[in-house]
Amino acid sequence: MAVILVVEDDMFIRETAEMMIQDWGHQILSACDVNEALTHLCSPHHIDALFTDIYLKADVLGGCDLARHAIKLRPDLRILYTTGNRVTEKLLALFAEGSHFLSKPYTEDQLQGSFESLLAA
Amino acid sequence: MAVSDIAASDIVETVPSALIVLDRNLNITSANRAFYQTFRTNAKETEGCLIYDLGNRQWDIPALRTLLESVIPHRASVEGFEVEHDFPTIGQRTMLVNARKIFSPGDNDGSILLAIEDVSEERAARKESKRNWQLTQSIVDTIRDPLVVLENDLTIVTASKAFLTIFGSTQAETFGRRVSELGQHQWDVPALRHLMDKVLPENKPIENFEIEDDFPGLGRRVFNLNARKISQLGNHAHRMLLVFEDITDRKQRERDAQMLTNEISHRIKNNLQIVVGLIAYEIKWSIAASVPGLKAMQARIGAIAKLYDLLSHSSRGETVAIDAYLAEIAKAMSASLLGNQSGIEIMVKAEPLVIDPDRAVPLGLLVNELATNAIKHAFPGGKGHVVLGAARIGDEIELTVVDDGVGMTDKAVAKIPEKRGSDYVAIFVRQLGGTITTSSTEGTGTINKIRLPLLVIPSGGVEPLAA
Repeated sequence: MAVILVVEDDMFIRETAEMMIQDWGHQILSACDVNEALTHLCSPHHIDALFTDIYLKADVLGGCDLARHAIKLRPDLRILYTTGNRVTEKLLALFAEGSHFLSKPYTEDQLQGSFESLLAA
Repeated sequence: MAVSDIAASDIVETVPSALIVLDRNLNITSANRAFYQTFRTNAKETEGCLIYDLGNRQWDIPALRTLLESVIPHRASVEGFEVEHDFPTIGQRTMLVNARKIFSPGDNDGSILLAIEDVSEERAARKESKRNWQLTQSIVDTIRDPLVVLENDLTIVTASKAFLTIFGSTQAETFGRRVSELGQHQWDVPALRHLMDKVLPENKPIENFEIEDDFPGLGRRVFNLNARKISQLGNHAHRMLLVFEDITDRKQRERDAQMLTNEISHRIKNNLQIVVGLIAYEIKWSIAASVPGLKAMQARIGAIAKLYDLLSHSSRGETVAIDAYLAEIAKAMSASLLGNQSGIEIMVKAEPLVIDPDRAVPLGLLVNELATNAIKHAFPGGKGHVVLGAARIGDEIELTVVDDGVGMTDKAVAKIPEKRGSDYVAIFVRQLGGTITTSSTEGTGTINKIRLPLLVIPSGGVEPLAA
């Protein structure tokens, strides 16, 4: 079982995702913005993967910035991005190496599939 | 035979310049053939005649008098003396006169040899060229966009007033220099240099090359560069016209629009995610029999979200290109339903047709529904093709979703119209103002054909062809 840090500014979406993740037996840590997420990342708590929205509150590329910091802090961290916006080549270039992506809206099956391949990699 | 062996008279008769010899009293002692031809006269009328009296005194020209009476007596030779005169016999002419004093043995007074070259045409051409250049410069100066004209060696030969004003430079700072040397070397971009090198030798225009930089006095600006070879009839020299279009405001509007699109997209997708999440809660507490229907609902919401992306990507303002739209739908379905390892392939064979944005969503959902059915039911072996098509047939668009799967029995096909009275496919077809026919044979696949009214696109908007 893995520890997943879920970063999502919309409370309902975050809690729905967390409910799904917990149903598969994983443990979750929760954050609504970059600062809260960094607090977890700087803590001694073990974290296997970061599941982050890209557009966090007013921060259009908040999720990309967060992932960049997170990799510096924890080089082995696995990253799964999500966004409702179109993924352009420019945005793709900002993704961390080896990271995965899931577009919104995602179903439970799609989220589960994404996590299975993320954690198996 | 050596040149020295040729008689002087032969040379005189051969040269194209008009030659005359005058004695000390300015009487003509002889003239060559070119003179007689140029001035339409002959030896009888010419020889022994005072030059000023020749041809009804048409050679009594003040400038010639100055040359013969004031200049020649004091100098051994004069070259390039230009005489412009309206000759009664041959009209307005510009003559280039070379004069030389010649002395033969025993002749102390000497003679004057005048070589007269008619340069009227050359001077006229030069004047025409100057007029053309002034006209070009006037046109160049009236164009609002800054532009420069470059020589073969890519140095600037002229620049419009707009160029000098906008970039705050003078003619002296600009002319004779390369574009890459201007200002603070903002145009010194390898990719631009590479393209400019090809404009003249390969006649390859530069189109919409964008440069964004800080310009002194202007601030951050985006310029669109266009260049092409310019030639003048009868002139072998080629030049390059380079136009700088300031697109800063347009780019800013595009960026603002993109930010707004992203913001709206973010909100819409989050709201759709909430709906999908609500359905996920329902799935959690529903009986097993309800789960497939609820999951299918989630998939349709996902399809609407994808169509929203495709619409904003495929739309050309007032219309949506069906071929590009179908290609995006095929790509999205392959990614979400099939994956890389699937033996099922979704292909597109569509003509370049357009549809109004209002009908694009039901069209996308219709294609999504039919193609999903094919993927789910037509290929129990996990291998086959689904082809999404669009073609113009008369005043209609024929949209097709065809598979080469297992097909259906006649009985199953017969049930479709009855079943479709209330299903999504029927609703979408009605919404599109079309009709659907399905034909299928066991073992050879299924063909769905949907006929929709074609649209005509008037300049003011989109209206159906048929009232």
